[in-house]
Amino acid sequence: MDDPKALDLVKELVVRLLSSRSPSPSGDPSADLPHALRYAHRLLSSRMSPSLAPDEPAMAESIKRHLAVLGRSADALAFADLHSKLAARSGPGSVRNRWALLYLLKSLSDDRRRADLLLHAPSVGGLPALPLDPHPVRPAKKTLAPSGGVLLVSKDPENIREIALREYADLVMEETEVSESALVRDVLYACQGIDGRYVRFDKVSDSYDLPESLKLPRSTRTMVRRLCELGWLFRKVRGYITESMSQFPAEDVGTIGQAFCSALQDELSDYYKLLAVLESQSLNPIPTAGSDSGVPGNYLSLRRLAVWLAEPMVRMRLMAVLVDMCRNLRGGAMAGAIHGQAQHGDPLVQEFMGRLLRRVCSPLFEMVRSWVLEGELEDVFAEFFILSRPVKAESLWREGYQIQSAMLPSFISPTLAQRILRTGKSINFLRVCCEDNGWANAAAKAAAHVGTTTRRGGLGYGETDALEALVVEAAKRIDQHLMDVIHHRYRFRDHCLAIKRYLLLGQGDFVQYLMDIVGPELSEPANTISSFQLAGLLETAIRASNAQYDDRDILDRLKVKMMEHGDGDRGWDVFSLEYDARVPLDTVFTASVMKRYLKIFNYLWKLKRVEHALIGVWKTMKPNCIISCSFAKESAVKMQFVSMLRRCQVLWNEMNHFVTNFQYYIRFEVLEVSWAQFSEEMDAAKDLDDLLAAHDKYLNSIMEKSLLGERSRDIIKTLFTLFDLILRFRSHHDRWFERINELQLRGRGKSRSKSKELGSWVEGGRKAMIQLAREFFQMMGEDLDTIAKEYSASLDDFISQLPMQQHVDLKFLLFRLDFTEYYSHLSSSK
Amino acid sequence: MPREIITIQVGQCGNQIGMEFWKQLCLEHGIGKDGLLEDFATQGGDRKDVFFYQADDQHYIPRALLMDLEPRVINGIQNSEYRNLYNHENIFVSEHGGGAGNNWASGYHQGEQVVDDIMDMIDREADGSDSLEGFVLCHSIAGGTGSGMGSYLLETLNERYSKKLVQTYSVFPNQMETSDVVVQPYNSLLTLKRLTLNADCVVVLDNTALNRIAVERLHLTNPTFAQTNSLVSTVMSASTTTLRYPGYMNNDLVGLLASLIPTPRCHFLMTGYTPLTVERQVNMIRKTTVLDVMRRLLQTKNIMVSSYARTKEASQAKYISILNIIQGDVDPTQVHESLQRIRERKLVNFIEWGPASIQVALSRKSPYVQTTHRVSGLMLANHTSIRHLFSKCLGQYEKLRKKQAFLDNYRKFPMFADNDLSEFDESREIIESLVDEYKACESPDYIKWGMEGQGDASVAAALESKLVV
Repeated sequence: MDDPKALDLVKELVVRLLSSRSPSPSGDPSADLPHALRYAHRLLSSRMSPSLAPDEPAMAESIKRHLAVLGRSADALAFADLHSKLAARSGPGSVRNRWALLYLLKSLSDDRRRADLLLHAPSVGGLPALPLDPHPVRPAKKTLAPSGGVLLVSKDPENIREIALREYADLVMEETEVSESALVRDVLYACQGIDGRYVRFDKVSDSYDLPESLKLPRSTRTMVRRLCELGWLFRKVRGYITESMSQFPAEDVGTIGQAFCSALQDELSDYYKLLAVLESQSLNPIPTAGSDSGVPGNYLSLRRLAVWLAEPMVRMRLMAVLVDMCRNLRGGAMAGAIHGQAQHGDPLVQEFMGRLLRRVCSPLFEMVRSWVLEGELEDVFAEFFILSRPVKAESLWREGYQIQSAMLPSFISPTLAQRILRTGKSINFLRVCCEDNGWANAAAKAAAHVGTTTRRGGLGYGETDALEALVVEAAKRIDQHLMDVIHHRYRFRDHCLAIKRYLLLGQGDFVQYLMDIVGPELSEPANTISSFQLAGLLETAIRASNAQYDDRDILDRLKVKMMEHGDGDRGWDVFSLEYDARVPLDTVFTASVMKRYLKIFNYLWKLKRVEHALIGVWKTMKPNCIISCSFAKESAVKMQFVSMLRRCQVLWNEMNHFVTNFQYYIRFEVLEVSWAQFSEEMDAAKDLDDLLAAHDKYLNSIMEKSLLGERSRDIIKTLFTLFDLILRFRSHHDRWFERINELQLRGRGKSRSKSKELGSWVEGGRKAMIQLAREFFQMMGEDLDTIAKEYSASLDDFISQLPMQQHVDLKFLLFRLDFTEYYSHLSSSK
Repeated sequence: MPREIITIQVGQCGNQIGMEFWKQLCLEHGIGKDGLLEDFATQGGDRKDVFFYQADDQHYIPRALLMDLEPRVINGIQNSEYRNLYNHENIFVSEHGGGAGNNWASGYHQGEQVVDDIMDMIDREADGSDSLEGFVLCHSIAGGTGSGMGSYLLETLNERYSKKLVQTYSVFPNQMETSDVVVQPYNSLLTLKRLTLNADCVVVLDNTALNRIAVERLHLTNPTFAQTNSLVSTVMSASTTTLRYPGYMNNDLVGLLASLIPTPRCHFLMTGYTPLTVERQVNMIRKTTVLDVMRRLLQTKNIMVSSYARTKEASQAKYISILNIIQGDVDPTQVHESLQRIRERKLVNFIEWGPASIQVALSRKSPYVQTTHRVSGLMLANHTSIRHLFSKCLGQYEKLRKKQAFLDNYRKFPMFADNDLSEFDESREIIESLVDEYKACESPDYIKWGMEGQGDASVAAALESKLVV
């Protein structure tokens, strides 16, 4: 550095650099000059050499790769072209130290990328960066090359460089107790989880480390540590594998866990192979600095090791992450967790994870396959996302199998999972509840339809589409088959119709007859009624009505059921009919469903009873009975009687109007409409779930519309008050007419006797009788008034509540009840 | 316990319409002319045992009693292809076979004399049923046998089976043309009294209207009795469909009638039927919807009772009740819409003293009878305008009575012996009070009718007559 020409050049360069820097912190660029100059000198006179071996092709390759990685493949090509031109040059003017040149250019390029960070370097005494724009590297090269500033360094005489290197090596040797090759070996050991001579696992810090006491350059120590991370990761992964494998079968790792371990194991064996190669390379001596620089060889330095191990490190890290994540997971959850990690932008990671997942998921897919096609739950370790529970046949469908969402890997969508669940469930339902084998055919057809993907183990991760196709096809066919079985072999519709006929009182003649014959029985206290006797009456009712032509199988299922009864309950309160749906239809008609049917039955039965009562009233007042009724020609009493009669009739008409129209509403707006909809949905139902939903909707619709729903509590109360009033009217009415008949008989007897023998005592008896009749009519009138008043109050209440039932459409009921606007006139005139 | 109904057909007209009725029923239930079930009649769901019972050899035998005082019509039946259908023990023809000579008194008197034979038959038939619902009487009110013997039967049934229903299908004479039966007004009046007092429900079939319908609706220039009778049988069979095809509602006669007859005395029903055809005549109604049917049923031209009301009176007439029996493939929601439309258009006037509405019963159609229309409907209505028919009867009676014409024929019989014509007067009073009651129903104050003026002589008299047997 004593060449004045060179010094001048350096000075000029420094000046230029400083002047190009805009607003300097100190204000005057010249003030910094001496300082910067000194710094430049020091730099130039340093004997530091790059730690890389001078290997020109390698360097060129590195640059090309770098460019290629940045996506500038055109630039990379241009560079290759330029470089070959440069290398081809020989003779005067050619560059001798091409490697150094390339290295410099590369470094500059790297610096440029860090330009942002280094922009303020001068403030700590460094040189400012060359202005990057508009003349980046190339102008710099142009300025430098002709002047030979940098080239001068390479033009140093051999000996100077040799000396410098030797000095450096000595310096290094002074600081290092351990040879690099020993460290390399140790690192390799560590990478296999074995403690080396120096590198040992330190449990306290949970890492591989060199003993503090060892004298080593800090950089080496750092590098060793960094490399040893691989060892740490390896330990973790291997630890997990051995742990899992050794626990088996004591603790259920599960097939998916096993698959995971085996996949890891395979990855590790690749890793072992690499280590073996590296170990053999590590035996080659490391050329010491300066010994034969620029000569490539198969030796292994720490740096080379770092390069070699870079990729395994990534993998190992991934594995370690997975191991950490899966430590407490099993089965589908594990697969799901791994899948979660596989969503990665790095193709390397993605590819690696894909490979791993294919292995891990193969047991899972196999489970899906056998579940969907055979209905078998091959899940000893409870890893599958479908969980079976031991239940009775009737609840097999609803409760027998469940999706364990924790075990559901995210690459299987919930819809698909549902479909998978249902398909296998259908098979099991067919097998267990329907004792049907036809599903095997359907499954085989589905498998054949989808094709090759159905072989055992043929499905794998990443083929979710194929899986879905298989599941969809199998589901379609098996559900179709199940529907066929339900509809044809178990005659679902017939049973629904039977329930509609008997439990929902559709078979009017049967209901009427039943009402006729069990009526007297049911008026007794509930605890005195023998359900055996009622069963007999039921049978009679069946035989006497058109029900007798019904299928015996259906009739056998119809039973009398006495509900729980307390003291004071009458038969009416506890009597009901029950329909025994039997396996497999009890899946639809479960106990809770039947309970709701029971509720509806009781309601309709009550309505029928009220209707029946009203008809009974009419019969006692029917034309040819009442018109021929006579009282002695005592016009005042007769008036009373006629008036009373008419009031009865008018009240009866009002009640009958209500009951008839309400029945009509129940029948056509509730039962028939709901049924029509259900029937449609029943035909459209593709699987049992659809069917169940349709049936549920049907039942709900009936409940809601017939005011049995939760939201209609108030109005139903009013309705029942009305019913009770009607029943009360009936019983009063019966008493009245009994009395009237009695009076009539007496009257008739008296008048007859009067014609035979005239006597004052007869006349007196007659008067007494008339007095009696008058009092009776008085009383009857009062009773009638009470009932009529209560009735119209309740009816008002009911009608006013109708519009408030927003959840059901009761317009029609209101419309019919008030068809002639009788009630609206009545309320408006009030 | 099928709630059996025993049909009693009396007289020429009664037997004719009765026979048409059984023909129709046999067709609808797939029962052959000999009473055996046809091979095709396999679709269940119908209830045959209301009107039929099965003999030991599976024959279906109508629960029918055929009675006449002259043998012509019944002989005709016995020589027809249906001769094996009926139970021969159930056929009664008077020994002398001389008929009643269109004389009510003769029919009544003869009925009285053979009461034991007749009641034996009725009792036997009634005992053969588990839970007899009631009797249906088919007769005409104009002649001698149907009216006279029918009247006697009504009284007897009322006494002996007071708990059972008694429904009649009563053919009223053609009031438009002069009848060959000159004493028809007398007969009608006397029968009407029994129909008022001793029947629970009278389905009025007015020959005038039947003829008019046959001419106007069916375009028959000269309708025969057979043709008008087939109209009657259509009505009869249609009004019993809900009994024969059980459903959720209206499965028994009493339920059917109770709603129609809220006040016992007003139990005279009008009928209407659409679309009408006779003997497989191609029908002229192209499209039948529920609304269409229900609307047609409200049109007077389809109603089988002529309205003799003057315009002003007609506008005051009110329906006490209406039951539409709709047969065929019907969506219940259509019923709702139709009812709404009918109310919007104010096509019906109902009574104002109580709630009322058009009741609709949906019934199945027989699968064995092919009809060209999808929907058909029968209306049973309790309408106050029927009082004009009774007034007309009364008027004709008054005319004849004033002239004291033809009374001699009646005086020959015990009821009118010694020139005791009080029966006529009593009958007239009862019919008048019936007319009054119907009239009262047109007023919103029906409930108070007859109560306010206790001193009013006419009301008292009306009441008096009302309550006397």
